[in-house]
Amino acid sequence: MSAVYRNTAPPPIPWLSEGFFDFWSTRVHPLWTLRRPLARLLARHKASADAVTLELQPNRHFHGLQAGQHVNLGAELDGRLTTRSYSPVLLENGRLAITVKRIAGGKLSQYLSEQAVIGEVFALGQAFGEMLLPAVPPPKLLMLAAGSGITPMRALLRQLDAQGMPGSVDLVYWVRQREQLCFIDEFNAIAARHPSFRLHLAVTGEGAARVDSHELDCLGDLRAAHVLACGPGGFANAARARLQDQVAHFDSEAFSVPQLVEVEQGSVQIQLLKTGRTLTVPRGLALLPALEAAGIKAASGCRMGICNTCVCGKASGITRHTVTGDYTSEPSVPLKLCVSSASTDLTLEL
Amino acid sequence: MSSVHNRVLSAAELQTFGDELDAVKARHQALLGASDARYIRRIVAAVRWTGVAGRALLFLGAFVHSVLVPAWIAGVLLLALSKILENMELAHNVIHGQYDWMGDPQLQGKTYEWDIAGTSENWRKTHNFRHHTYTNVRGLDDDIGYGLLRIFPEQRWHPFFLAQPFVAVVFALLFEWGIAIQDLRIGRVLVGKMTLKQLWHQARPVGRKAMLQVLKDYVLFPALAGPFFLPVLLGNVAANVIRNVWTYVVIFCGHFTADAETFPKECIRNEGRGHWYLRQLRGSSNLTGGKWMDVMTGNLSHQIEHHFYPDIPANRYAAMAVEVKEICARYGQHYNTGSLPRQFGQVMWRIMRHAFPSKPAPERPLVAEPRAEVG
Repeated sequence: MSAVYRNTAPPPIPWLSEGFFDFWSTRVHPLWTLRRPLARLLARHKASADAVTLELQPNRHFHGLQAGQHVNLGAELDGRLTTRSYSPVLLENGRLAITVKRIAGGKLSQYLSEQAVIGEVFALGQAFGEMLLPAVPPPKLLMLAAGSGITPMRALLRQLDAQGMPGSVDLVYWVRQREQLCFIDEFNAIAARHPSFRLHLAVTGEGAARVDSHELDCLGDLRAAHVLACGPGGFANAARARLQDQVAHFDSEAFSVPQLVEVEQGSVQIQLLKTGRTLTVPRGLALLPALEAAGIKAASGCRMGICNTCVCGKASGITRHTVTGDYTSEPSVPLKLCVSSASTDLTLEL
Repeated sequence: MSSVHNRVLSAAELQTFGDELDAVKARHQALLGASDARYIRRIVAAVRWTGVAGRALLFLGAFVHSVLVPAWIAGVLLLALSKILENMELAHNVIHGQYDWMGDPQLQGKTYEWDIAGTSENWRKTHNFRHHTYTNVRGLDDDIGYGLLRIFPEQRWHPFFLAQPFVAVVFALLFEWGIAIQDLRIGRVLVGKMTLKQLWHQARPVGRKAMLQVLKDYVLFPALAGPFFLPVLLGNVAANVIRNVWTYVVIFCGHFTADAETFPKECIRNEGRGHWYLRQLRGSSNLTGGKWMDVMTGNLSHQIEHHFYPDIPANRYAAMAVEVKEICARYGQHYNTGSLPRQFGQVMWRIMRHAFPSKPAPERPLVAEPRAEVG
């Protein structure tokens, strides 16, 4: 997972201060920066009862994306850069279309749906994600999407549409209520163009079964199928349990934020991005001694949370401050290893 | 040395003293938000605009000779203001990680590079770690006299220090260069603890950064004025010297006033939070003067609050100071504050007095014996 841009790499031009350059260049044009990817909001329209689609212009530092990949988008809310992952569609004119579902209590989704004004500039991360179309089109492709899990499927379908829909493609799309369905006109148009693409809607509020108990018999023989599933963590796990052993290939992605467990016992997994290691550490222990016990040498100083030497970027997960007991989940805020303990699995830039 | 009386705290008092000061931090940390972000961005804008205006006025004076003197003076003052704001209110505070919580890549403590001869990397080590963790602990905090001056009677006297009233003035004029080479500890080469090769290796990033600063202020900008390079060159020299002297004065007032104390190494063994706060308090001193003084000193006018809470945005110190002062009074602890002339007068007296041999007063324990083991 890639966080939004942090200028950790050495400056491209040693004698030029990035802060100085960006301060003046963004006064000439809001998207002109030395190397920081940004995106500007150009238009916003309703996608369903509780979702909007934002049309964004990325600047030249955004390296593009493949269908099915995600980007982190960030806006400053109450002084804090707040970022979430979205699955955009790359439009022909180079713009990004990002569909945002408004989530109760979701700070960024509410801001993007209601408050963000046209012309506003957002932080943007480079594309990431492995759920792509296979290089060789499989004879049978099955896409399973629940809720906002439809967004990467939409991007993949547009790519298949452009390729002339090689092979047979089925999309099963679960929502709770019918008015939450997004992109239905677009999917129907694709289905009209390509008889080998079939759309199956499953509205659970109207009695449709969930993925674990769904018959799936309308889909025919699945033994040779290449399956892609995307949705909340529970959905992705249920789909995997149901299908993994019965199909040729199974890929899934879940977008749920990590859930906080209100206990400080047990252990969690820490993935270190730079060294490529994964360790298991006790939940309540400060990260610095935990890493050192595992043989990882991290820069450190005062060991009491004041000198900022052990500060480290965090790509995902929730940490707890060992002195104040406060939890932090925001990925763009770096953490002090000496006074933070892991509350969930973590991904650290170490 | 000190004439003030501090109440000797019991172990239980020390514990609650620390808890109350921790609570002040938690209260203010919870308030951080858009207003703090707006404040630091306004400082960034002030640094940029005063910098450009100062340099533009120096060029104006260089090319339009009828306004040379007023434009030069205004240009020097604005450029010095820009550098002071950048070094003190922006860079020093950002490098502490005070604005890390914003997630703004341009305001991250780990990566910010400041507009001064020294590297941020060395500063993070000498200042953020050593000075802030071991504040005024003899043998651990290199900021005690910067290895050049004898400020406290506990430092061993040497005939070299007879020259320190003069050395101190030169050090003030060249302060940024002193800071730049502080972490190299050149003295270690002289006593044979480090080879010249090791020094060269360590000095390379410092030299690279310093060269960029020299090229910018003393080559590039003067060269842009072509035949009229001299007023621009002199203007840049003047602005840098003003910044050097001002930062020197402010920083020396922070830990070298008459009532500031130093501590032996044993002092920090098993040090609990309350004890740590107490040591920071006894080793630091504030400046009165209000809002302008706060901005111009990068809020080091609240040196005590800065040492208590180095990672809290400095724009909060003025409000925190009200609570900190009240807590210190309640625990019978002297809160060292005074006007700039008063505090710097005391610093100058120390520099004069301890140029000559002097004897330390008997060590006064921070806490009641037996030493409290807290935390």
